[in-house]
Amino acid sequence: MNDLLAEFLRGYTANNQWAIIMPEIMLAVLALGLLGAEMVLPKKSHGLIPRLALWGQLFVLVVAMTAGSYIGFESKSYFSGMIYQTDITQFMRGFFLVCSILVCYLGHIYLSKQQLPKTEFYHLVIIISAAMMLLVQSSNFVMLFVALETVTVAFYVLVAYCRSSSLSLEAGLKYLVMGALSSSILLFGIVLLYGVAGNPELAFNSQDALNFDELRNFIALNSDNLLVRVGALLVIAGICFKIGAVPFQIWVPDVYQGSPTPVTAYLAVASKAAGFIVLLQLVTGPFMGLQGLLVPVLSFVAAATILFGNFAAVTQRNVKRLMGLSGIAHAGYILVGVIAAMRGVAWAPYAVIFYLVTYLLASFAVFGVMTHLAGSDDANQELDDYENLARKRPFLGGILACGLGSLAGIPPLGGFIGKLFLFVAAFQAELFGLLGISVLGVVISIYYYFGWVRECYFGNASDEVIHDVKAPFNMSDRVLLGALVVGTVIIGIVPAALPIIP
Amino acid sequence: MTATQSLLAALLAPLLSAALITFFFRRRGVIASTISVVAAAAIFIFSLFAIREMGTGSVVASWDWLTFGNFNVSMGFFFDGTAATMLTMVAFVGFLIHVFSLGYMADDKARARFFGGLSIFMFSMLGIILADNLIMIFVFWELVGFSSYMLIGHYLDTEEAAAASKKAFIVNRIGDLGFLVGIVYAYWHFGTTNISEMHGIVAANADLVNAVIAACLMCGFIGKSAQFPLHVWLPDAMAGPTPVSALIHAATMVAAGVYFLIRIAFLFPESVLGGIGILGTSVAVYAGFCAYGQNDIKKILAYSTLSQLGYMAAAFGLGFPGIALFHLITHAFFKALLFLGAGSIIHGCHHEQDIFKMGGIFKKMPITSITFVLGVLALCGVYGFSGFYSKDAILIAAGLDGTLLFFLLTGGAFLTAGYMGRLVWIVFFGKPKSDAASHAHESGFTMLLPLIVLAVLSVTGGWLQFWPEQLGHIIHLDEVKLHNAAGYADKHHLVLILGSAAWIVGLLGSLLFYGKGATEDQLEKRAAPVYGFLKDRLWFDEIYGYYVAKIQQRFAGLLSVLDVFVIKGVLVRGSAGLVGLIGMCSKSQHVGSIHGYVYWFLAGLIFFWVVATGVLKAF
Repeated sequence: MNDLLAEFLRGYTANNQWAIIMPEIMLAVLALGLLGAEMVLPKKSHGLIPRLALWGQLFVLVVAMTAGSYIGFESKSYFSGMIYQTDITQFMRGFFLVCSILVCYLGHIYLSKQQLPKTEFYHLVIIISAAMMLLVQSSNFVMLFVALETVTVAFYVLVAYCRSSSLSLEAGLKYLVMGALSSSILLFGIVLLYGVAGNPELAFNSQDALNFDELRNFIALNSDNLLVRVGALLVIAGICFKIGAVPFQIWVPDVYQGSPTPVTAYLAVASKAAGFIVLLQLVTGPFMGLQGLLVPVLSFVAAATILFGNFAAVTQRNVKRLMGLSGIAHAGYILVGVIAAMRGVAWAPYAVIFYLVTYLLASFAVFGVMTHLAGSDDANQELDDYENLARKRPFLGGILACGLGSLAGIPPLGGFIGKLFLFVAAFQAELFGLLGISVLGVVISIYYYFGWVRECYFGNASDEVIHDVKAPFNMSDRVLLGALVVGTVIIGIVPAALPIIP
Repeated sequence: MTATQSLLAALLAPLLSAALITFFFRRRGVIASTISVVAAAAIFIFSLFAIREMGTGSVVASWDWLTFGNFNVSMGFFFDGTAATMLTMVAFVGFLIHVFSLGYMADDKARARFFGGLSIFMFSMLGIILADNLIMIFVFWELVGFSSYMLIGHYLDTEEAAAASKKAFIVNRIGDLGFLVGIVYAYWHFGTTNISEMHGIVAANADLVNAVIAACLMCGFIGKSAQFPLHVWLPDAMAGPTPVSALIHAATMVAAGVYFLIRIAFLFPESVLGGIGILGTSVAVYAGFCAYGQNDIKKILAYSTLSQLGYMAAAFGLGFPGIALFHLITHAFFKALLFLGAGSIIHGCHHEQDIFKMGGIFKKMPITSITFVLGVLALCGVYGFSGFYSKDAILIAAGLDGTLLFFLLTGGAFLTAGYMGRLVWIVFFGKPKSDAASHAHESGFTMLLPLIVLAVLSVTGGWLQFWPEQLGHIIHLDEVKLHNAAGYADKHHLVLILGSAAWIVGLLGSLLFYGKGATEDQLEKRAAPVYGFLKDRLWFDEIYGYYVAKIQQRFAGLLSVLDVFVIKGVLVRGSAGLVGLIGMCSKSQHVGSIHGYVYWFLAGLIFFWVVATGVLKAF
C-alpha cells in the first residue's frame, strides 16, 4: 500500500504538476497563515491581519496572472483527468480572486461596526475563493463534488456569521437545510450517472465513469437511457440551486437578507459565477449529447427565472432582498447565454463571462455603498433609508446610481454591453422567445432599479438633518468604489478594453 | 510620434480639457479658459506633426470597438489630403477663436462652462474630420449637435437663447433621422460603413451607387449645413455668444456638412448631384435677399453664411468637390474674421447689435474696421483676395454647366456685395447714432490679434501655389480639371468681368441707395411691403410655425388624448397593476418557513422528473 502511494506521489512530483494549482495552494497557505498569525501576534497588532489577507491575495492574483500568461491558455488536462484548465478557468481564477479581495475589503468595513471575531471571516473567504477556483477547473465528478462542498460548507458559516442577529442565524439555518438538500440531489444524480455509465451491458461503458470525457462519450451514445436523463437532470437541479434559478431560487431572498452584506455580495457574484461556469462546462462537455432534453428544460427555467426575479423584485422594499431577487433575474439572462452556447454559438461562453464581469463591477459598487451605509443592524436596510442620499452623500449617491444603471443595462455603462452581447448570442442561436422575455424583464428591472435611484435623488427635500451612522470614509474607499465605476464606464464605452470576446 | 499617435493626441487633448474643466474647474473661469486655450493650441501643434509625418500619402488606423461573431464595429482614422486640409483650417481658426474668446468672454460669469463647451465642440468636430466610417461620423455628428445646443443656449436667462438652442437641436434631428436611415441602408447595401471600403466597392462596380442612400445621407448635410428646407435654425442660433457664432455657425460646424459630402462624394449619382446643385443655388440667392431685411449685424452675417454654404453646395453639385472644399476654406477665414470683427464691434458698443444704432465706428475702432473691410472685400470676391479665387472657380464651373445656375449664382454675387456694402456704409461711416456707439472703444490685444491674423489669411488664403504640398491636393485636381474643360477661357473672361462688376456695382449701389451712416432703412421707407417680406425671411418661419401650431399641434393633441386614456390609463396603469399583482403573488411565496421551501424543491424535482421521463411530450 505504501509503495502504491509513493508511486502515486512520485508520478505527480516527476512532472511537477503541483505548480499548475500553485495559486490555490498559496491561498490555502495564506488562509492557514491568518489563523496562525492570530495566535502568534499580540492582541494589539491584530489590525495587521486584514492587511495581510488583502495584500496576500493581491500577491496571489499577480502570481496567478503571470503564471497564466507564462503557462499559456491552451486547454490541457492534469492529475489524470481531475483538473482541466482552459482559457476560461484561467480567467475565472482572476475573477474569483478579485471577488474575494473585494469581499475582504467590504468585510473589513462591516466587521468594524460589529462585535464579532474577525480573523475567521477572512480565512473562510479565502478558502472559498480557492475552492471555487478548483471547482471550475474540475473535470471529474468527485473533484467537482468535493470542491463544491468546500465552498458550501464555508458559506454555511459565513452566512450565519453575525451570531448576534437572529436574521443571520435564521439565514444560516435555511442555507444549511437547502444546501444540504441540493447537495444530496446533486450527489444522487452523480451516483446515477456513475452507476449507469459503469454498466458493462451498455455501449461505451467506462471504468472511470466519473470522468467528464468518458461520460461525454457514453452519454452521446446513450442519450435515451432513462437513468442517464434523470441523473443529468438531478445534477442540473443541484447546480440550479447554486445559481438561484427557478424553481430552486426560493432560498435566495431570506439568505441574502440575513447574511452580512459582504457575504451577500460574495454569494451574489462569486458563488453564482462559479455555478454558471460549472453549468457551462457540463452542458458543453459531458451533457453535450443531451441537448434535445436540456435545451427545452433550461429554456423553461430561464424564462421562469427572468420573470419571477423581476416580478418579485418590483414590490420589494428591503434593498438586500431586492438585490437578491434582481440577482435571480440576472441569473435568468445568463442562462439564456448558456442555452445559446448549447445551441452552438461558439462565442456565447465568452459573452457569459463578459456579463459576469460587468455584473461583478456593478454589484460590488452597489454592495459597497450598502456596506458603507449600513448601521450595526445590517439586515434591515429599507429603500426609505436611501432617501436624499445624493444630497447627503453625493459621492456614494453617484456610485450607487452608476451601479444600478449598469445593472439595469443603461448605455454607456458596462451592463448595457454585457446584455447586448448576451442578446446577440441569443439572436444568433435563434432563441427569439427567450430574447423577447429577456427584453421584457429588462424593461421591468428599470422600474425598480430607478425607483431606488429616485429615492436617492428625487426624494422629498426635508430640512431636518437626518442622523446617519457615518462610517469613516477614507481615501481608499473612495478609490476602490471609484475604480469599480470607472471600470464599468470604460467597459461600456470601449468593450475591447476587456479582451474576453474572441 | 507617428502620425496616428499625433492624431490621437490632437483628438484627446480637447476631451481632456473638457473633463478637467467639468470635474475640477467649474467655478474657476481663469483656469478653465487657460486650459481650453492650451488644448486648442495643442490640437494645432499635433495636427502639424501629423501632417508632417503623413507626407503626401494618407494615414489609416482602425481599432475594433465592438466585435461579436462576424459582426464588427470599428473606430478609426482615415486621414487623407482632404482631412488634412480641413483639420489645419479647423485647428487654426479654432485656436484663434479661443484666443478671441479670452477677451470677449472676460466679464462672463459662466466662463468655465463656455470654455468647457468649446473644448467639447473641438473634440466632436475633430472626430467628424478624422472618422473613417459612417457610424463614427454619426456619433460625433450628434456630439457637435449637443455642443452647439449647449453653446447657443449659453445665455441661459434670455428667452431667445433658450428657444434658439431648442430650435437648432430639433431641426437638426430631422436631418439626422434621414442620415441614420442612410447609414443603415448603406450597411445593408455595401456590408460596411467604412469610407475607404465603400470607395473600393463603388470603384470596382459603379452600378452599386444608390440614389436612395445618397439622398438619405444628404439629409444629414441639409440639417447640419442649414440648407433649404432646414435652414431656419441658423439665423436664430445667433443668440449664442459671438465667438460661438464664428466658430460653429460660420467656420466649422456648418461647413462639416459640406465636408461630409466631399468625403463621400463617390456615393453620389448624377441625379442627386444635380439636386444638390439646384438646392445650393437657390439657398445662395434666397439668403442673399433675406440679408437685406435684417438690422442685426450678426443676422446679416448669418444669412451671408447661408448664402455662401449654398455656393459650396452648388460647387459640389456641379461635380467639383475640390472647389467646394476650396470655398469652404477661404470662407472659413473671411467669415470667421467678419464674425469676430462683429464681435469686437458689439463688445466695443456694449452689446449693441443693431446696425442703425452704430455708425462712425471707423474712427473709434480703426484696426477692427480695417480688418472687417478686408473681410468684406474677400467675401465680395475682389480680385486678388481669397474669396475671388474660390468664387471665381464656382462661377466658371456653373458657366460650363448651363446658363440658369450661372446667372443665379452671379446674381447672388451682386446681392452679396449689396448687403455687405449696406452693412459697411451704415456701421462704419457717418456719425454715431446711439450712446453706446459714441462711447465705443477699440478692443484689447487678445481680440485684435486673431482679427489681424485672419485678415492676412483672408487676403492671401486663396493663393493656392503657396499652400503646403500636403494640403489641398483635391483642390488642385479640380482646378486642373476646370482649366482643361472646353470653353474655359471664354467663361473665365466673362466671370472676371461679371464678378468685378458685381462687387463694384454692389458696393457703390448700396452707398448711393442707403447713404453713409444712414439712420433708417431706405428700403423700408420706400418699399415697405418688399422690406417686410424680406424681413420675415420670405415667411418660411411663419409657414413652419403655422404647420406646427395648427396641424402638428392638433395631431399631437389627439395623440395626447389617446395617450392619457389608452396608454397611461389602460396600458401603463394596467400593466403596472398587473406587475404589482404578480409581484405580490411571487413575494407571498417567500413565506419564510423552511417547510414551505422544501416543497418548492420537491415541485422542481417533480417537474424535472416529468420532463426526463418524457411524460410532458404526451401532451
